[in-house]
Amino acid sequence: LPRAQGAHPLPPLSFAPTVTSEQIEHLHRRFKQLSRDQLTIRKENFDSIPDLEFNPIRGKIVHAFFDKRNLRQESDGLADEINFEDFLTIMSYFRPIEMDMDEEQLDRFRKEKLKFLFHMYDSDHDGKITLQEYRNVVEELLSGNPHLEKESARSIADGAMMEAASICVGQMGPDQVYEGITFEDFLKMWQGIDIETKMHVRFLNMETIAHCY
Amino acid sequence: MFLLLPFDSLVVNLLGISITVLFTLLLVFIIVPAIFGVSFGIRKVYMKTLLKIFQWATLRIERGAKEKNHPLYKPYANGIIAKEPTSLEEEIKEIRRSGSGKALDTPEFELSDIFYFCRKGIETIMDDEVTKRFSAEELESWNLLSRTNYNFQYISLRLTVLWGLGVLIRYCFLLPLRIALAFTGISLLVTGTTVVGYLPNGRCKEFLSKHVHLMCYRICVRALTAIITYHDRENRPRNGGICVANHTSPIDVIILASDGYYAMVGQIHGGLMGVIQRAMVKACPHVWFERSEVKDRHLVAKRLTEHVQDKSKLPILIFPEGTCINNTSVMMFKKGSFEIGATVYPVAIKYDPQFGDAFWNSSKYGMITYLLRMMTSWAIVCSVWYLPPMTRQPEEDAVQFANRVKSAIARQGGLVDLLWDGGLKREKVKDAFKEEQQKLYSKMIVGNHEDRSRS
Repeated sequence: LPRAQGAHPLPPLSFAPTVTSEQIEHLHRRFKQLSRDQLTIRKENFDSIPDLEFNPIRGKIVHAFFDKRNLRQESDGLADEINFEDFLTIMSYFRPIEMDMDEEQLDRFRKEKLKFLFHMYDSDHDGKITLQEYRNVVEELLSGNPHLEKESARSIADGAMMEAASICVGQMGPDQVYEGITFEDFLKMWQGIDIETKMHVRFLNMETIAHCY
Repeated sequence: MFLLLPFDSLVVNLLGISITVLFTLLLVFIIVPAIFGVSFGIRKVYMKTLLKIFQWATLRIERGAKEKNHPLYKPYANGIIAKEPTSLEEEIKEIRRSGSGKALDTPEFELSDIFYFCRKGIETIMDDEVTKRFSAEELESWNLLSRTNYNFQYISLRLTVLWGLGVLIRYCFLLPLRIALAFTGISLLVTGTTVVGYLPNGRCKEFLSKHVHLMCYRICVRALTAIITYHDRENRPRNGGICVANHTSPIDVIILASDGYYAMVGQIHGGLMGVIQRAMVKACPHVWFERSEVKDRHLVAKRLTEHVQDKSKLPILIFPEGTCINNTSVMMFKKGSFEIGATVYPVAIKYDPQFGDAFWNSSKYGMITYLLRMMTSWAIVCSVWYLPPMTRQPEEDAVQFANRVKSAIARQGGLVDLLWDGGLKREKVKDAFKEEQQKLYSKMIVGNHEDRSRS
């Protein structure tokens, strides 16, 4: 079912909404630029950002914008187009941490960001990162190098996956098959590692300058 | 058969008289000076008056904002996010260090490596250098045109009245005047060049052709109320040279051609443009290409080289960016015109957006809409700098020469010198650029493997 347009003026952010109105205005202008003044953005609109072409995981990033799990919708799969509210929802995953957040908020914050990353790896939406999906990510990241054989990329992925398995499950017996990294395992891998400062985008301090002649 | 009331005949008479008066005024104050290349200075006075009014308007807005205790915003010029200037290697080292403590020289892949690319991707989606250049420049003060009113909401009654008056003047007085002038200019150009074309080749024909062209371009300049300041006119292009300039709008041609006699280069269009082009080429040898010939780079280069080598032929006018940019920066120059080997005369054109934004966003507005917007602005104010001629040095190739010329133009006009290709307005990035980043990253991860296997 299509969501009602303009049902809420601001998306229901799960953490303290200290995004200022001018930042939202700037993002809105950016949205209008990308959407060419339409109300929604489709995948093709991201083609108009030349700097994005540099990025090896461009496909996954754009995909993340349309992933219904990131858009906090109950259903699954991919949306065809997103409106400004959805755009803000995705951007909110990259909010920097505030100084005045308490433990619980920080924890929730961190989980949200890690969930976003998890969805990026888990492309078939089954809640697990399988060996094949991991290989896909590594191959994409390394795809630009013509000297690199596919085998090398695969072996790197396999090695990394094995290490992940050892962290999550410990020693496996010879008959045990490691099906894939679930979200709980994913969280375990990141314990103690500070990711919050790596996964945020800061706004420039917009000084309000009065015009004095 | 209806009765004409006495009122009606009075009205008709008045109308007749006012139109005659208007046309006499037109003739005396605008067209005659254009023919002789002199100026009464009316446009400069007009410009000064407008500036005073804009300043007053901006002060009123500030006062209005202060009364309501709201701050005014300066529109962002340099981007909205703080991009960290660390390189790929540094960042990944840092991420790994704060993580599992693995060093960079162990060729392994870490889950956390994806952070860097993810964040960079989101940063460019929020704000990127190139797309910014393709939307119109934003102003700091309001110029009483509703189309530039992005940021200001504190407009009092007095200002609204002033704005309404402005609309009236622009649409009901200036617009018809300008359309009449444009019509005169274009028809004079077509008829004049056709007539001159019948003359036998010789000095007389050249002289007349030059003056017909100049006269008509000057009329067109007045049709747009373009107030142009030329600097360093001693560097103007000479025969056998190529004149290159940065491109903001189709009006650039009119601005440059009203101060010098050039040979134009371009594709033959249909419709009115085509008629004008075909008439112009009768009087003097412009270089027009058929649509099919434009794709053939060798043919284009050959014709241009032939033209340039003939010293009796006029300097060619070329815009190497290939598309219209919004006049805050200069984008990559296509190397074709720099391979020919002639002297290059660079010209920098900088528009003052306060009076009317000359940038043509061809994906947003068609040509007719654009011209109407131009003709309903207050004026087009710009500065033209003629830079000293440049030639290609023996140790540089065409691309380096093009970049050198581009830097000179950007520096003179106060524009940002960008490496990006203006064609990105419509097409995608070449794959070669895309692979650079990926190659760098994969070299970091796998580099050691390769070295080991090779030895």
